[in-house]
Order: sequence, then structure tokens, then C-alpha cells
Amino acid sequence: MRKLATMLLRATAITAALAAATGVAAAKDVTIGVWSGGSGPNDNYRVDAIEMAADIYEREAAIRGEELNIIVEKKPYPTWDDFKQALTLAAEAGTAPDIVVTGHEDIAPWSQSGLITPIEDYIDLDSWPVNGIYENLMEISSYGGVVYGLPQDAEARPFFFWTPHMKAIGYSDADIEALPAKIQAGEYTLANVLEDAKKMQDSGAVQPGYGFYPRPANGPDYWQFYKSFGGEMQDASGKLVLDKAAMQRFYQFFVDAVEAGVTRKNHIGTPNDQWFAEVASGKAGTWHGGTWHYARYVNQEGLTDFFGNVQFSLIPAGEGGEANTLTHPLVYLLTKQDSEDEMTTAAELIKIASEPRINTLHAIKSAHLGISKEQSNISLYSGDRWAREATERLLPHANAMPNNSDFGAYWNSMWSGLESAWTGQKTPEQAVADVETELKSALGDAIIIR
Amino acid sequence: MKSSRTLGLVLIAPAVVLVILFFLVPVALTAVFSFTTMSTATGITGGAYQVAPNTLRRLSDRTGMDELSEQLAESKYVIDERGLAALDSLDVGAGIAVELRRDHLGEVFATRREAERMIRDLRDRPPTREVKRISEQFNRSVLNARFESRAELFAALGALGVELTAQEQDAVAAATYTGWTWTTENFRRMVSTPDTVRRLFNTVVYVAVTLVLFNTGFAMLLAIATHYMPDASAGTFRSLWLLPRVSPPVIYVLLWKWLAWDTGFLSMFFGQFGVPSRNWLLDSALNAWVFVVLINGFVGASMGMLIFSSAIKAIPKALFHASEVDGASRWQQVRHIILPSLRWPILFVTCYQTLSLLTSFELILLSTDGGPGGATEVWALAAYHTALNNYAGNLEYGYGAAMALILVVIGVALSLFYLRLFNYRALVARPLIEQ
Repeated sequence: MRKLATMLLRATAITAALAAATGVAAAKDVTIGVWSGGSGPNDNYRVDAIEMAADIYEREAAIRGEELNIIVEKKPYPTWDDFKQALTLAAEAGTAPDIVVTGHEDIAPWSQSGLITPIEDYIDLDSWPVNGIYENLMEISSYGGVVYGLPQDAEARPFFFWTPHMKAIGYSDADIEALPAKIQAGEYTLANVLEDAKKMQDSGAVQPGYGFYPRPANGPDYWQFYKSFGGEMQDASGKLVLDKAAMQRFYQFFVDAVEAGVTRKNHIGTPNDQWFAEVASGKAGTWHGGTWHYARYVNQEGLTDFFGNVQFSLIPAGEGGEANTLTHPLVYLLTKQDSEDEMTTAAELIKIASEPRINTLHAIKSAHLGISKEQSNISLYSGDRWAREATERLLPHANAMPNNSDFGAYWNSMWSGLESAWTGQKTPEQAVADVETELKSALGDAIIIR
Repeated sequence: MKSSRTLGLVLIAPAVVLVILFFLVPVALTAVFSFTTMSTATGITGGAYQVAPNTLRRLSDRTGMDELSEQLAESKYVIDERGLAALDSLDVGAGIAVELRRDHLGEVFATRREAERMIRDLRDRPPTREVKRISEQFNRSVLNARFESRAELFAALGALGVELTAQEQDAVAAATYTGWTWTTENFRRMVSTPDTVRRLFNTVVYVAVTLVLFNTGFAMLLAIATHYMPDASAGTFRSLWLLPRVSPPVIYVLLWKWLAWDTGFLSMFFGQFGVPSRNWLLDSALNAWVFVVLINGFVGASMGMLIFSSAIKAIPKALFHASEVDGASRWQQVRHIILPSLRWPILFVTCYQTLSLLTSFELILLSTDGGPGGATEVWALAAYHTALNNYAGNLEYGYGAAMALILVVIGVALSLFYLRLFNYRALVARPLIEQ
């Protein structure tokens, strides 16, 4: 009897030990944090895609016989300033999330500080879906030949015309139809924009100050105008370039717009919500924005007949330059973590999230452009007129900002110069001279000034 | 005596700890940071040595070592015996090393990607993580490699057969170091930047106008006015003026924006008289200044008001009664009784508010954000923008700290000046009446 009791006891102990051991081995919990910047209500798939990827990856692991439980902690930030501040400070404190969705220009400074780790250390670049991503987007996600991240979206920044106002000043339907091609050929320039804006105001179609209604805050968009006037951001070797004459022509254009009364002197600082409501309701004659604005105009601002009211094109050329647009892809980056396993999992999730079907959800919901050619085989993408036309008309002419740690300082100077010229605090000439002095002392030989 | 002294020390200890933690340490750190090149790119906690394309460009720009930088920029993967030997110590399948030696010995690949393609084509196709570990053993270049120490960097260069003189080593180390370094460059940059003078001027205007008009002037007016009011209405009046201080800054500024925006109350009101709507807050530099001073002044006035009114309450009533018997007017009472007794509170409020105005920028940040065109960018706001706000993700901590340090210096100098001006020694002299 006693023997039996001992045996039972032993058996129970062994079973319990075994159960505990297998329990530990089987249930593996991994927490993956993902933060995204500048993400509004239409951009939820930036972080949701990682969650979807986690589900697929868990199922794959289960088939391989591993019980993997991935907890995705999502944190989308609506603005950029807060996001970059929070992330850089979190990284210094060692609490950065595993994955960040940010602008490609962050790669240079963040790789220097060791905040991010090249994704090519964890994934096979020749495998699907990575090998299907547009080559130029992969290049933008690289720095010094190393692939740091995978593109999360692509976009372009068009110039918009409110067609009923164009008709009010004498444009026919055929003229409006032909406008994008004329702009691309350099036959319709920024000087014509100011003329037409003035005409729209004079004819009473729009109120004074609404003829040309630019982005009301700092952003990559303004580099397009520098480019339109022949400016270059970097030379072939990757060194930053300040073209003083082009910068001055670019500043002068906004000063001219203010002087002609088609743009308000106090335009910068206009609340974003007000700006969106105004351009989507035909209060402005011409303006510029991004491909993703389409989603906001249509979904939030109630512009149901977009194509019946708006024409879009490249940013027209100015003196000395050509029509262009800028693409500012966001990228999935992998931050440096202590656990190699965690980083491998995070990299795998990024890879899965980049698959055409998942990425298309983001592309179409947020009106961004796809990251791979295959996406045009997905009916959600190919059936969307905006994605189709914007990809064709804009993407081939898109430039990107340089990946360079010093670009931030250059950008700050460019913007404060533009702001001071625009608001009449300085003449364009003075503003450019101050930008030059500032850059010389801040960057020294890291920038070519000509 | 002795125990009371100890008790005093014990009682003051928490305050001392707080002062050290929240004042002295930040000031000391600001001073340290301001002599560094710290930014997001350099990190705060130290750096590594990274042979990236930009560091190589720096090397050839600064030292003219074009040949060396070209040599370092080369990327090369070689299947050699050294790598195969290293493979043995890794836990990769034995077949892989055998196959590499048999079929690929001596092969050279220009990029990691090409080398990895070959490795993936081996018969025992290794998993991705393994491929990366294997390819690393055959890397015969330093491009894009990250070394934790100088010794590791030069060991790797030595292994590649790159021999450098001590001088060249210093140049390479300096160019490839990713962390921050000591520098006085921040102050030189500050002096040569055109906006510096303007920001200083903005700061002086902001502090002086807000201080004189509101924080002391208007506060005094409120205190004196409420002094002559019946108690109940004086209390109500004072609590009304406390509202700006107790409301959350974001909401407080939002109310001002609703007032001033081009779809706001002012525009709608003036619209009735045919004035076209405009953003009154940012319409011109003058407009922006008026709002900045009002927004800050309404908050600042309440503190002076409270201190001055309680100080006035502390003046013996007999003085007022006596002066009234002598036929003094209200103005004479203010001039000869109230103001002379308020020397201490005025010193305190002026001193405290100067320092707090110098460093407070949150209401400006929320309202004009320094606009239009930098017209209301005060020194503290500029320091904040530099150190904690950059569109391209590279926050300049070092330069921002240097700007903040200037504020500390100005603050300390001003405090000393005020103490002398108000004759601090006389104010704290022993009372003449024996206790």
C-alpha cells in the first residue's frame, strides 16, 4: 500500500515536472513595440500591418511546432515633432520600441548614433516580398550602401488646381485636361500660377489671399520649390549643396506671391484643420499638398467629386529649373535591442507587413502609393483611380531628400530663411545671406555653397 | 542650542536635496553639454567607430588622405582559409565549410549581397541568420562596420593589411568616431549666427515689456484697486484675475487663438464692419507681440497682485487712518505709505518674474511658435527649438545647451544686479529694536 502511494506520488511529481518543463518551452511570449510618426486616422495600417504580420508569423511558427505568442504594442503619433522627440529621448533611455515608422531622412543620424540596426542583417534581401520592392525606394531606405529599413509607403506631392475656378477665368475642359502635360514640359510655370491666381481673385472666384494657398507649416514640400528654381540638395558624391541663386529665386517667388496679394503674408501658422477644410471646399484657387491628401479630402472633408473639381500635376517649373515632385517614403526601421531573438522577430514582421496585399491596405486607405509593382495586380489597388493616375503622372518624376546627418541643420536654416522672407522680416537677398552665414558656421566644409 | 542647529539642518535637508536635484545638477549638466557636439546623431552615452561613406568623405576633405579613404571605402568578401578556419569555431554544418573549400576557395565578391547569394546556393542551404554569420567570416573590408573601441578598429584595419602612422591613426579615429567630442564651437557659432542678436533683442523686449506693464505695473494697479474695495468684491475681483494662472496653459492659449484666428471672434466681430477677416495673432510682428505680451501678462499679473495685496494688508491700519486725518488724498497714500512699504515685495516680484520670464517660453510656443518669421522667437524658445525640435530627426543637444547656458549666466548676473539695486544688505539688517 505504502509502495503504491510512493509510486503514485512519484508519478505525479514527474508529470508535474514534465508539464512545467514543456509549458516553459512551448509558450514563448515576445512583445514587439511599434511607433509611427505623422499618422492620422487614415494611417492606422502603419502599425496595424505589424499586428497582421504577427498573426501570420504566429501561425507559421505553430506549423513549425513552436508556440509563439507575439504581443504588438502599437503607438501612432499624430504629429512629427512629438514623435521624433519622444523616440530619440526614449532611445537614449533605452526604452525605444522595436520597430519605428518614420521618414527616410532619419536613417543617417540614427544609424550614426547606433539607434537603429540595418535590417539587412536580419532578412534575406533576395527573398519575396523584398525583391519586389521598387529599386529606388530600396535605395532611399539605405545609407552608404547598407539597407537599413524597408519602405513603408511611397507618395508624391502634387500641385492642385480647383477646376471650377480655372473655368471661371477662361480655361476650357480640354485646357484643364492638357495642363499636367504642359506643366511637365515646362510650358506652364510658377509665374503662370501667380498670374492665374491673380485672375481668379480679380474675377471674384476666390477671396484675396486664396489664389495660391500653400502648405501652412514647415515640411519637405518646400524643397520642391527650391528644386523648381534649379536648386540642388546634394551633389553626386552625396555632399550637401546650397545653391544661393536658386534659393533666392525660390524665396522671391513666395515674396512675389505675397506682393501680388495671392498668398497671405501671415499664411504660415494657419491651423491645419482650417487649411484642409478650405482647400477641400474650393475656397482656394491653387495649392499644393501630398497624394495622401486625397484620402482626407474625400473621407474627412466631404469632397465627394474629387476628379470633377480638382486637377493635379507636378509642381510647375520656375526660372532655371524644371517641374518636379518629391517623394518622402516612410520606412520601417529596426531599433537596436539587447535581444537578438526579438530583433529577428521584429525584422520578420516588417518583412511580412511589406507583402503587397497588406501594404495595399495602407496605400489605398491613406491614399499613398504602393511600394512594389505587384500591387497593381491587386484589385483594391488597380481599381483605385487616384492610386493609378497619381502613380503614373507623378512617381516617375519624384526626387527624394538626401540621407545625410547634416541635412536637418540645412533644413532648419532653409525654413527660417523662407519664413523671414515670406513674412517680410528680411528681403530674400538678406535671408539667403543669413542662411549662408548660418550654414557656414554650423556645417563648415560639410556643405558646398555656390 | 546644538540640538536646534541639528534640527535646523534636518528641516532644511529636503530643500537642499531638491535644489541640488532640480537646479544645480541641471545647470551643471547644461554647462557640460554646452561644450560638446552632442546631437541625436552622436548620442549622449558615447560613441563607436564607424567607417561610413560620410566619415570617409570627412577624412579626405579634412586631411587630404584621398588614397586611404578610397582604400577603406572598398567592400570585399573573399573565400579564404582564414574565413574557413573561423567557420570551424561557429556551429554551422560541417558540410558547408567543406563545400566552400572545394568549390569556392579564392572567389572574391564585391558586395555582401553577392557573397550571400552564393552561400544560399550551397547544397545545405543554411537559414537566413546562419547565412549572415557565415558571410561575416569572409568580410575583408571595414566599410560600414561598427567598432566599439579604437583598438578594435585598428585591429581590424591591421588584419586587412592597412598600416597607418600614429598621425594617420589619429585622423582616421577622429573622422570615424560617431560619438560627441568636446568643443567651444557652439559659442563661436552663436556669435557668428545672424539671428543671435535678434533673438536677444526679442528676449529683452519680451521680458521688459511684460514685466513693467503687467507683472509689476498691472499687478500693483490691481492690488491697490482691490485694497480700496470692500472685502467681498475685492475677493471676487482677485479670483477673476487668478483664472488665467489656474487654467491649463494649452486651453488658455486655445481660447486666445479662438479669439484671434481668421475664423475667430475678432475677425467675426470686425467682419460686421467690413474689415476682411485675418489671423490677428500672426498678422504682423506688432500684432504677434501684443498677443504674446497679453497672454503672458495676464498670467503673470496675478502673482504680483497677490503678493502686493497681502503686503498692503500688512501695513498698520493706523498709518492710513492718521493720513486721512491729515487730509491725504488716495494718491498721496499710495505714494507715501503703500509704495515705500512695498520695497521688499517689489524687489521679490521683479527679481522672480524677470527670471521666470527669461526662461518661460511655453505660452509663446503654443501661441505664435516664434512667428511670424521669427519675430517673437525669444532666446529660451530658440534653445528649445534647437535642442528638442528638428524635422529631420537630428536634435542638437550641445548647441541647445550652449544657448541655455547663456540664459543661466544672464539670470545669475541679473539677480546680483537686483540685490545691489535694492540694497539687499540694508533690507536684511538686524532690527534696531532690542528683542
